[in-house]
Formats: sequence, structure tokens, C-alpha cells
Amino acid sequence: MKKKLISLLLSTALAATLLAGCGSSAADTAAPAADSGAQEAAPAADDSAAADTAAPAANAGGTTYALVTKSAGNPFMERMASGFQEAIEAQGGTVVIQNPEAATPDAQISVIQSLISQGVSSIAVDGNDANALTAVLTEASNAGIKVLTLDSDVAPDTRTVYCNQAGVSQIGETLMEAVYDLTGGEGDWAILSATSQATNQNAWIDAMKKLMESDSKYAKLNLVEVAYGDDEPQKSTDQTQALLQNYPDLKVICAPTTVGIAAAAKVLQDQKSSVKLTGLGLPSEMAEYIGDDDAHSCPYMYLWNPIDLGRLAGYTSIALVDGTITGAAGDKFTAGELGDYTIEEIDGSTQIILGPPFKFDPSNIDEWKTVY
Amino acid sequence: MKKKSVGQFLSESREASLVIVLIILLIVVGIINPSFLSFTNIRQIFLNNTLTFLMALGMLCVMLTAGIDISITSTLAFAGMSIGLLQKYNILHNTFLLFVIGAVIGIVCGFLNGIIIAKGHVAPIICTMGFMYIWRGMAYVISNNNWASGMDVAGFSDFGKDGAPGPYIILIIAYIIFFVVMKWTRFGRRIYAVGSNTEAAQVSGINVDRTLTGVYTIMGFLAGLAGVLSVSIYASAQPNMQYGKEMDVIAACVIGGVSMSGGRGSVAGTFLGALIIGIISKALPMVNIPNFWQNLIKGVIILAVVILNVVTQRTMERQNLLRREM
Amino acid sequence: MAGRSGREISAVPETSIKSKLLSWEGALILILVAVNILGVAISPNYNVNNVLREMPRYLAEIFMMFGMGYILVLGDIDISVGALVCLAGTVTVLSSNAGAPFGLAVVICLAAGLLGGMLNGFIATKFTELPTMIVTLGTQIIFRGIAEVLFETWGNGGGTASMTDTKGLMLLAKKIGPFPISFFCVIIAGAIMITVLAKTTFGRKLYAIGSNKTAAYYAGIKVQRIRFICYSLLGFLSGLCALFLLTATFGSNTTTGQGFEMEVIAMCVFGGIATTGGKGNLIGAFIAAFIIVCLRIALGQRNINTQVILVIIGLMLIVSVLVPALSGALTAKKKKAQT
Repeated sequence: MKKKLISLLLSTALAATLLAGCGSSAADTAAPAADSGAQEAAPAADDSAAADTAAPAANAGGTTYALVTKSAGNPFMERMASGFQEAIEAQGGTVVIQNPEAATPDAQISVIQSLISQGVSSIAVDGNDANALTAVLTEASNAGIKVLTLDSDVAPDTRTVYCNQAGVSQIGETLMEAVYDLTGGEGDWAILSATSQATNQNAWIDAMKKLMESDSKYAKLNLVEVAYGDDEPQKSTDQTQALLQNYPDLKVICAPTTVGIAAAAKVLQDQKSSVKLTGLGLPSEMAEYIGDDDAHSCPYMYLWNPIDLGRLAGYTSIALVDGTITGAAGDKFTAGELGDYTIEEIDGSTQIILGPPFKFDPSNIDEWKTVY
Repeated sequence: MKKKSVGQFLSESREASLVIVLIILLIVVGIINPSFLSFTNIRQIFLNNTLTFLMALGMLCVMLTAGIDISITSTLAFAGMSIGLLQKYNILHNTFLLFVIGAVIGIVCGFLNGIIIAKGHVAPIICTMGFMYIWRGMAYVISNNNWASGMDVAGFSDFGKDGAPGPYIILIIAYIIFFVVMKWTRFGRRIYAVGSNTEAAQVSGINVDRTLTGVYTIMGFLAGLAGVLSVSIYASAQPNMQYGKEMDVIAACVIGGVSMSGGRGSVAGTFLGALIIGIISKALPMVNIPNFWQNLIKGVIILAVVILNVVTQRTMERQNLLRREM
Repeated sequence: MAGRSGREISAVPETSIKSKLLSWEGALILILVAVNILGVAISPNYNVNNVLREMPRYLAEIFMMFGMGYILVLGDIDISVGALVCLAGTVTVLSSNAGAPFGLAVVICLAAGLLGGMLNGFIATKFTELPTMIVTLGTQIIFRGIAEVLFETWGNGGGTASMTDTKGLMLLAKKIGPFPISFFCVIIAGAIMITVLAKTTFGRKLYAIGSNKTAAYYAGIKVQRIRFICYSLLGFLSGLCALFLLTATFGSNTTTGQGFEMEVIAMCVFGGIATTGGKGNLIGAFIAAFIIVCLRIALGQRNINTQVILVIIGLMLIVSVLVPALSGALTAKKKKAQT
């Protein structure tokens, strides 16, 4: 009987190994460029201590560039990754795209650690937390890997440069102007944000608050509440409904988050509420709700092009690795078809700004909703 | 001795004590924010918590057999993501067929749970934990980092629109069916029998394995259905949808007096438990409690209610003992 | 009856090498070897240096796993520990930023964990009718809730805080050769926890309670007191987990520790500890933890979709519990056929 038992146990071991095998083949389709990249980068990375041999290469070929997104299962991240991949593969580089299992810094740490082992040349990170990645990114830099951020920044001294979709104050101003326009210059408005620790969300909200204090134009606007929907449709729905019930005079909700704005748009539209919505949203998610008439809840909203943001990060990675730029303010480089960019010093940190946020309204939503 | 005092009645019926908790909750919230008691708001409590209400019924059956299922929201995500993608890629747009497909996926997931737990004698929490990882992962894999969004599910989402009767009808039918099945049918009594004493049930000729498999299949069916409803109600399908919400469903059952060691619990209690969970999540943003206090208060209320349950149970037993002594 | 079950639970040590190899632990060692061979085969970067460098974040979880093993042997469960890690980490960061020296911050971290564990233990032993899953579900929400309130009232708001004085943490993150300090700490903690469970009367009492609470009570074991001690111990180890996690993150936020409870339960179960209580030992769980960690690192280096890794772990979990169950069923069938 015992023999039978051990044969069964061994079969478990075998099963586990086999499963891992299946897994790897499944992933091949998910990240086609990953495999060859890992192998090509291998010689330089056999020993992590020797990883500083990853000296600036003359061309992008044979070098591996990594992108770490916020989490798996997010179309915004998917578009960003596709732009990143496209830009780098056009230059002959290899791309590794890693989607952490959850939108937490813990999950990102494991993924970045793994990339350090693989000895990639650069890591572009979309940070889930401003501070928690400090240790691991410092480790990456010490191993000779160029670290940059995009979309959501981390602590400035742990990365070379931040590819910012649009300046914080620029986004704050744009959204504030939209709120001013939709309220007609006075009245109650509210913010529906993602989670309370989302760095970029908080920065934009702060920028809007500062603007309200400093500019007398917005004196008659009354920000009644900042609600957090945690980027969960259900909680965002509850929070939106609560806003409507708590503040009967509410005129506008501003949701600078793609999940929150879609949930809020649905609530307002279903209830045929007179409250209007604006903020930052994906056109494909929001196409149903954008329109000038009362049947639609969102007259217009903003976003930047995630594909372009990914491309910009891709070109920046290449420029950093081949030594065109070092990440210091004033450095200039050409980002392919995107044009020329200069690294700027903004709020005490080095950034590359993609451009002003793009406005989506009834006139252009149809052409964009299939793009991203 | 024949007439029971009010106090006795209350301490003898778990449901009655829940109703009291509910009324206190409603009065407190109603005083702070009168608009909470409006018709629209109460309606929305049911709509926003349709999934909890629905899955709590399945969890009731599972817990009656002394089991637990923590894979439900993963099943939900897998089923929901599947039908969302069917629409996104324009393969299928028929609401009824989508419901059928979602339910079938749920049934298969649930059946796998059931057969492994019943035939393999695996602890339910472990088996369902495995599938929790598996189905959630599968939802991510099939989604390929995409969502099915508002425009993809345009026609379909009318079913679960705020104001449309669909979700309420499903809830009412489900509760009526479960009420009848659990109270008056042989299958219902078998579930109670298996949970109260598995060996006795086996000896008295009940096919325990089949009952267990059936119970988890029902749970899977409801989770699949909830997945479809979720896509309809929120007009989007994401692989991470309802992540972690299985705990809400379990909490709803326990608050409703369902025993985790099996054999005790009722459909009415489950309903009240789910209602309390629904009211908490709906009320917290409405009573002007700062956002960052909300989770703490939610946790305290849940713990307080279950402890209250224990305390009433104890007084009940003490009173019974006293009466016997008299 | 009591005597017989007593002998079963104390697992009279068998000495022959053959029987040891045939045990679940033997199989786990084989799997661990297999996973490492797999790692070397699929990733050119899978070597001692890299694996040890990637390990600290996972090592932190293993501290917690030892405590969870005790709780599972008792037949209980604790799903609040992930949130407790968040709470302990948060108070550490906030108190350090408020000017507490590192030594004091460490004490505060461990004390926060211990207190959280004691709260769990208190409720679980005072209201024994309550299933521990529900008690700890409640405290899970509460612990994370307290952390959120602390961030808002003490921190700079925004649900995240990083430690400004990282000197102490750097010291803890140091390496001796390729080995991180936490690696040695895990080995020491493991040696103590394994010995206590396997060789002391205290450990035997846990098995007795896990097998049959009532019988244990009548045998004179202070059941509730031991449960309380185990919950407090798990809390303390969660504090330790938070501390070592801090050496990797230098900060805490509202998602810290999310899902840890399920990961450590999975490690225990894969290591042969039954959630129904009274079965399994920590050696198995210890090996299993390293299997899962090595597998994750190996597959991660191959850039395998993180979600696929989770699917693989889920499948491994189910297979690992099915195998003993099925082999048991086979034995039963054979016996039946013989009689």
C-alpha cells in the first residue's frame, strides 16, 4: 500500500512540474517578446553583482527594456504597454512587460526583483505607491539598471526621470475649468476619487483645491466632499448615490479616475439626474455616457493617450540606456514620431511632459472609442 | 406559563432579535439622514446588493452542510468576464442566452468544488481556496487585460439598469424558491440532516455525497448568475470584479444566524443578514462619517452583531434551563 | 478510546529511513528539488544569489506561517493576520516618523502585533460559540480600518506613509554573504516553532485540542488558555512579519499584507497541515513554503503571467489535498475487498 502512496506522491511532484510547463507555454502567448529577451540578456546577468556590466550599448538591439504596470486586467495599462512595446521593437530592442498580480506595491516589488535577476537594461514603473518601492528601485539602480517612471510617479530620488502624462497643475487647471464651466460658475460640486493612497489622484485633487483657494474666479464654487470609490464599481456606485442624496443642490461630480467616472456616469444616467459629470476617463468605457443632451450624463471629459504615454516611456528608456540622456534637467532627445522632448525640472523633480490632456466630447468620441 | 413574555419571544427567535437590530440601525441612520428612508434609497439597497443577497442563499446551503465556499467571487468573475467578452467580440448579444451561459459556467465550477469535496473528502475551505486562485486567474487570462465596457454591453445592461425590474424579480423568485425548498422539500431536509449529523444522515439512507455535490453546484449556479447580473448592473466586466466580496456574503449568513458548524440557519435569517450588510454599506457614506472611518465602523458593527447573537443565544439557553428547574 | 487516539496524535516517531522518505515530508523534499531543477532549466538567472536576493519579501510571510500552523493544528483559523501586518507596519512607520528611535519602533511593531493577536484570542475564547473565521473576519476589517484612521489622523493623509529614518531598517536588510539576515531569523524561528510543536507537552496539547476539544478539556488541558496563547503568538509573529516586510518596503500603506492570510494558509495546507485540526507538522509546512517561494521566483524569472502563477498554485493546492484523500480511499476499498 505504501508503494502506491509514494507513487501517487511522486505523481504530484510530476504534475506540479508539468503544470509549470503548461504555464510557461501559456505565458509565451501573453508576452511573446519575453523569452528571447531573458535569454539574450543572460550573459550579462549570470551574477547580479556583475550586472553593472550592462554598460551603455551602441544600439537598442539585444538590449531588454522592461515595463511594470500597475496591475493585470486593466485596459489603460494594456494600451500603455502596447505603445511601449511598439516604440522599442521598432528600434530592435526586446521588451518585457510585467503585470503584477494585484494593484499593490508588494506585488510590484516581487516583479521588479525578478527583473533585476534577469539583468534587464531599464525598468519603467507605473508606481502603485510613492514610497514603498524606494528600496527595490534603489537596488535596481545599484545593479546598473536605468529606472524611470510613467503615469504614476515614485519618490524622485529613486528614479532618473518621470514620464508625466500632463503636469499636475495643468490637469488641476483643466478639470477646475471644466467644473467651472459645467456649474455655470457657482454652486456645489464633489469629487469621486479612487483609493485614498493613489498618488496621482491625490496630487490632482490637491492642485484643484489650491486653485480654488488662490483664484477668486472659483470663489463661488463649493467643494462639498471628496468621496473614495476605491476603483470598485460597487463602492463607486454607493458613493455616487450617497453624494446625490446627501447634497440635493449638487451640480457637478468630477471623477479623475477611469473606474469611478464610468460607475458615476451609469448612476447619473440611469437616474436621469440633472447632475453633470466630468473628469478623466477612457473613451471606450465612456462612449455610452458622453453627450450634450439631458439623456447623457457626461458632456465632456479628458484623458491623455495611453498609447503615446507608453511610446514616450519606450523612447525615454532607449535614450537612457544608450546614454543620449542621463535624466538631468535640460537633456533633450527625440521620441520618434512624437517629436522632440526636453527634461524639465518641475516641483523639484525631473519630468518629461507628454502634453496637455485631450478633450473628449460628442464630436470626437466615436472616432476614439475604438482606439482605447 | 402559556403566554410568552415579549422578552422571551425575542430571545427565542433569532430572526426577531435581528429585526430589532435592523430597526435600531434604520432609526439611527434615519435620524441622522432622513433621506435614507426614502423609497429610492431602499430600492437601491437591494439593487446594489443583489449579488450579496443572491449568493447568500447558496452560502446558506453550503454552510448548513458545515461547509464554506470562498471561491464564489472568483466563479462570479470568471462567468461575468466570459459573458462580457462574448458581447465585446460581438459573438452573442441575446440576454437570455447570456444568462444561460453564465449559469452553466457557474454550475460547472460549483460541480467541480462539490465533487472534490464530496468524493475526495477535502476540507471545503481548502478546495474552494484552490479554485479561488484558479477561477480568478482564469478570468484574468481570458480577459487578456481588457474590460467589457458600457458600449460593449449596451443592450444587455438595460436588464440591470437602476429602475428596471429584472434584478428584483430574480431576487424575489430565488428567495421564494429557496424558502419553499428548504422548508418543505425532501432535498431541503436532507441538507439540514447532513449538516446536523453526517453519520446519522448516512445511516438513515441519505446519499451524503450527492447532497454535498448538489449544494456546491447550487452555490456555483448562483455565483454564475451573480456574475451575469453584475455585468448587467454595473455595465462592465472586469477580471477583478467583486474581489474579496465573498467575505461579505459569509458575514451576511453568519449575522443572519447561520451556524458555520452546520445544521442551523434559515432563509429568513439569511435575508435579514444580507439586508444588514447592505444597509451598512449604503448608510456609511450617507451619515457624514469621514471616509477613512468607514471600514473600522463596518468591522465593529459586524463583530458586535455576531457577538450579540451569541449573547442572546446564551440568555435563551439559561432561560430554558431556569424554566426546567421550575 | 482516549488512549488510542492519544497515541495517534502524538505520532510515535518511526525511525526507519524508508518510512521517513515515504512520508509527506519526503515527497515535499522531492518536489522542492524538482522545483529547483525546473528553475535552473527554465531560467538562466535562477541561481543562489538571485533566489536569495528575491526572497526577503516572501521570507517575511514565513514567520507568520509558523503561527498559522499552530492555529490550524488547533482546528481554528485566523484570516485577520494580513490586516494585522498592515496595522503593525503602519504604527511602526508613524511612530518612527514621530521621533521614536528605531529600537522603540521595533518594540511598538511587535507590541501592536501581539495586541492584535490578543484581541483575536480574547474574543475567540470568551465567545467560544463563534467560529474563529467570523471573529477574525470582523477583526480583519477592524485592523485595516484602524490603519486607515491612523494614516488620516497621524500621517500626512492619503493612506500611505514611508519611514524617514531608514538606518535601522537598512541594518535589518543587511546580508551575511549572500544570505539576508531575515533568512537566518526564519531558520531560528522555524527551529524553535517546529521543536515546540513536535517535542514539547505544549505542542502535544495543541494536537490533543485539535483532535478533540472536549476530550482535551476532560484530560485537564486548559483549552481556552492555550488557544489564547496561540492567537497571541500568531499576532506577535505577524508583527515580526510586518517588521521584515518593512525592510523591503520602507513604508506601509492601506494595501500592505493584502491576501497574506490566504497565502500562508495555502503554505500550511500544502505542507500537510489539515484545517480540521490535529494533523500535520511544521516541518512539512516549512518545506512547502520554500516550494511555493522557489516556484514563484522561477516562474517570475521566465516572465510568466502573474495570474497564471496563481492558477498553478491553486491547482497544486487542490492536488496536494486530493492525493492523501484518494490514497486513503483506495486503502479503504482494498480493505473492504479483502474482508
